[in-house]
Amino acid sequence: MAEQAQGAVPLSAVIADAATGVALALRGEGDPYAVSRILRQGDAASLAALRVLGADALAPYALDHRVCPGGDDEMVVRQALTAYPPGTDASEVSVWSYRGLVEASHSYLSGGAEPWPQPPQAAAGWVTADPWPKLAHRVSQLAALALPGLAPGLADDLATRTDDLARGFVRAVRRRDWLQAAGVGRWLSRLPKVPQTLGLDAGLAFVRQMSDGEPRVAVHVAAAHRFYGRGW
Amino acid sequence: MTVTAAPAPPALLHGVGDRALTWLDKHRDFFRLTDEDRATGAALIERLKPIGELAINMQVLFREGVAGSRQHARAGQLLDFTWRELLDGGNVLAALQHQEPLSPVPLEVYATFHELGHRHPALEAALEVPRRTATWTALEMVPNRRLGVLNAERKMRLPPSADFDQALAATWLGRMPEPWTVQHHIAYDLTHTVFHITNWGEAPERIPPALADYLARYLPAWMEDWADLEHWDLLGELLVVDACLPRPTLDGAMWERYAAAQSDSGAMPIQRGMPAGDPEVVFDLVHHPTLVAAFASAMATSRSLSADAAG
Repeated sequence: MAEQAQGAVPLSAVIADAATGVALALRGEGDPYAVSRILRQGDAASLAALRVLGADALAPYALDHRVCPGGDDEMVVRQALTAYPPGTDASEVSVWSYRGLVEASHSYLSGGAEPWPQPPQAAAGWVTADPWPKLAHRVSQLAALALPGLAPGLADDLATRTDDLARGFVRAVRRRDWLQAAGVGRWLSRLPKVPQTLGLDAGLAFVRQMSDGEPRVAVHVAAAHRFYGRGW
Repeated sequence: MTVTAAPAPPALLHGVGDRALTWLDKHRDFFRLTDEDRATGAALIERLKPIGELAINMQVLFREGVAGSRQHARAGQLLDFTWRELLDGGNVLAALQHQEPLSPVPLEVYATFHELGHRHPALEAALEVPRRTATWTALEMVPNRRLGVLNAERKMRLPPSADFDQALAATWLGRMPEPWTVQHHIAYDLTHTVFHITNWGEAPERIPPALADYLARYLPAWMEDWADLEHWDLLGELLVVDACLPRPTLDGAMWERYAAAQSDSGAMPIQRGMPAGDPEVVFDLVHHPTLVAAFASAMATSRSLSADAAG
């Protein structure tokens, strides 16, 4: 990667490592999770990776709140939030993703000395207006928001589009776009009234199997299973 | 809730079929059997397939009555040509039946003409004996083909050789499996199941409600995918299925892509662009997708004009 200094670890590898840590924690495997052990303070690649993973970097804390207020975990999240506030020209997905990390901080890292920033306003008109292929694409990019308690309004709106998301899942699997399939499948696992005929449980297992262990796919499938009991 | 696509205008739907019929009419002599075809039974069955498909598709155009008087006449002429010249008034089917008495092919092809009022009494008599054997119902075939045989019997008002609902339950579509597992062969299995349930689009209401719901939910995903793969033969069959649903989408953007794939001559390529080569070779490759284009157009135009589209 051109922007990497010589000898630096590529960002994709940092993201993959962090995602593997999250997926292991969600499956109850590996060492106790600490975001600061996976993503280091003051390291540009770590902060960029945290931006990419969004709320998923904190997903294991949704299982139990054992983070120390004011500790390294809190600091690395604060740094990421400060480093990447969405600009006025940020895409809707970027704003929602940032909002997800803020919401996750409020929900899972409570009790710190300093208050967390307020979640930014994020446009939601697309949730009801997008044709299904575009909707599925955006929703998969926001898969990290499919966590307990996050983005309740988004979940309510998406609950009216389960047929369209089911179509998106089918198309993503057909296209072998495992990351999109896993992201859409993860959201479907959170929503009520998902069509039985979709075969979501087998579908999530199939996507994990076919993705050859892609770490971000593993996070989505593990989250669907751990938080919503879907897949196997 | 779902955000639905705008339906295609009737002129777009109709144009695809008009051009396809022009090509089929112009190339009708390529459907003819050669002496070599007649010499061996196996080759004859192979060569009868396109003739049977031509007949069924012209019957759809004739039946739907949406093609305009010029096209209606042309479809009728092609049916007469098929019966009189390609099948020699049914004698070709009778000869094949004599060679292979237990093959369901003569029955399947004859049923279309029987429905149109053509008769070959000797063939009907000859079919009666095999149909009363245990072998007739024991013949091994894929489940959707069994539906095709049952539909042919229904067309001829013969007692069914098996229970239609049980035969439907044995098909892929009848079980409504995971829609993300659909691949090329499964997709053709499910389109043909719909063709046989509905007698080639004549009776869309025969699709059981649960299957119609299943198809309405997942068909857009399959259509989108095979449109992306530029597989026009399969996309055309999926567009027929759409036109058979209680609330067809007649998706305008999808029909635009389909129409754009059609060649200036009216032929529809199987996948991507038109093949090159000798006229016979090209005919063998494109006659099926072009027949499908005529079929899809007739069905979609008919549904469009009856104003019950989902959009």
